[in-house]
Amino acid sequence: MTAGTLIALVGAVVLRLTLSDAYLRYVQNGMRPWLLIAGVALVVLGAIALLRSLLAPSVDDGHDRPREGWLLLAPIAVLLLVAPPALGSYGVDRAAPVDVRSGRGTYEPLPKSTGPVVMSLLEYGQRAFDGDGRTLRTATVSLTGFVAGGADSTSFRLVRYQIACCAADAAAMIVKVIGISGRAPARDQWVTVTGRFHTSTGDTPELIGLTVQPIPPPEDPYE
Amino acid sequence: MSATSQRPTTRPTGVALVAVAVVLAVVFRPVLSGLLDRPAVANWATVFVAITLQAVPFLVLGVTISAAIAAYVPPSLLPRLLPSRGQAAVPVAALAGALLPGCECGSVPIARRLIDRGAPTAAALAFLLAAPAINPVVLVATAVAFPGRPEMVAARFLASLVASVVVGWCWLRIGRADLLRSRHRSHDHEGTRQEVFLATAAHDFLTAGGFLIIGAGAAATLQTIVPRSVMDGLAGSGPFALLALGLLAVAMAICSEADAFVAASLKQFSPGAQLVFMVVGPMVDVKLVALQAGTFGRAFAVRFAPLTFVAALGSAALVGWWLL
Repeated sequence: MTAGTLIALVGAVVLRLTLSDAYLRYVQNGMRPWLLIAGVALVVLGAIALLRSLLAPSVDDGHDRPREGWLLLAPIAVLLLVAPPALGSYGVDRAAPVDVRSGRGTYEPLPKSTGPVVMSLLEYGQRAFDGDGRTLRTATVSLTGFVAGGADSTSFRLVRYQIACCAADAAAMIVKVIGISGRAPARDQWVTVTGRFHTSTGDTPELIGLTVQPIPPPEDPYE
Repeated sequence: MSATSQRPTTRPTGVALVAVAVVLAVVFRPVLSGLLDRPAVANWATVFVAITLQAVPFLVLGVTISAAIAAYVPPSLLPRLLPSRGQAAVPVAALAGALLPGCECGSVPIARRLIDRGAPTAAALAFLLAAPAINPVVLVATAVAFPGRPEMVAARFLASLVASVVVGWCWLRIGRADLLRSRHRSHDHEGTRQEVFLATAAHDFLTAGGFLIIGAGAAATLQTIVPRSVMDGLAGSGPFALLALGLLAVAMAICSEADAFVAASLKQFSPGAQLVFMVVGPMVDVKLVALQAGTFGRAFAVRFAPLTFVAALGSAALVGWWLL
């Protein structure tokens, strides 16, 4: 009976995470269909095992309760009790950052636009090092990320993690926002920054910040 | 933990444990939430949940295939499909790994099932090591992570295949059947095929899932506490860089479908060292060792993991020196 309950519980938690979009804090959004399939399969498997042991206690699952299975309660407990947040600034300096100088080839010019052009930090970084930022020269861009360390009175680091599969493989994409006036936003605060391209002297692309707007954390915190 | 160790005896114990856990959780919830204000703890919890969650679909796939083999493949079939000579069966089984799309969590229960169904142990182990590294999904991910460098994909395929075959052959020479924990007799589920399928799937999921949790916890801990400066310090120093990335792969326990992206981001290391990272990772990492210990027994895992590590490191170093 416990085996069936445990399996169905795991499935239910996976489904709940996936349907509520909370899974986006932990894994890449492309995992969604596979998580849904796995969650349904586990709920069905657990329910059948539970039903069978209830209907026919003689064929009980006495030998089907590997003790290790209890450990599955650990992540469930963590999730239900404290709901770990998306990765924040703590890990930014603990893993290799994304290196944009190795990526894509040449970019098309930006579309003509009246307002700021919204783009990912990754695209901004790649454009910044593509022909020395030739496609960014005249544009105003809008980037969204969180604030991570390195802040002083005129600059801060804007960060968004790239993940390929799950948060364990996250790599930080960093853009240095410079020339801001007033106080830099607090560490780990999500912000939307509009600004203009600035030729970088180092490996980190730079942006001259025009406006810095604090926002609530987005649904999908990764790029 | 031997096969004859006591099973959980009475149901009330389990229920009581859950009740106690719930009470403790309610009482300590404010304390636990406060802990998350510490960034290191929050980071650990997020990585722990992330590794577990991303493994669940692969685990379900592996358990489904494993249960299907148990229920629908007659025990006499596998030995007939594989070459009868062990030396030949090993590479055939390793190449067959290319057919299983997925990452390493799924292949452990399948390998166990193959052995139970009469496949030679050495061949099943070669399959276990090769499948997560050389299947099309992983190779495509590698090509995407290293744009314009197809030699990286070729080197990964070749080095992983060689390492799997070498480990398989080593097992033929020095492996002993008694190192593998024999299955409890009651694990041969009886009844109709459907019943066998359901019972095996439930059992395998709980076993593999439990050990996955241990491994995910270990990987999250290492990721949270090992400072980057330790890794950077090793980057420049020749052969040590290969060893360093091999050890990093063991510690990080990244899914084989994603490790190429991480390898590509380790810019300060040579391509050879990046190759080591991608060859070692799918074959031996903390999460996988925990899974193998649970599935095959501890005596097996403590010998198999070092053997595999050395074979993977050596194979990747040689292939990298040749191709990259």
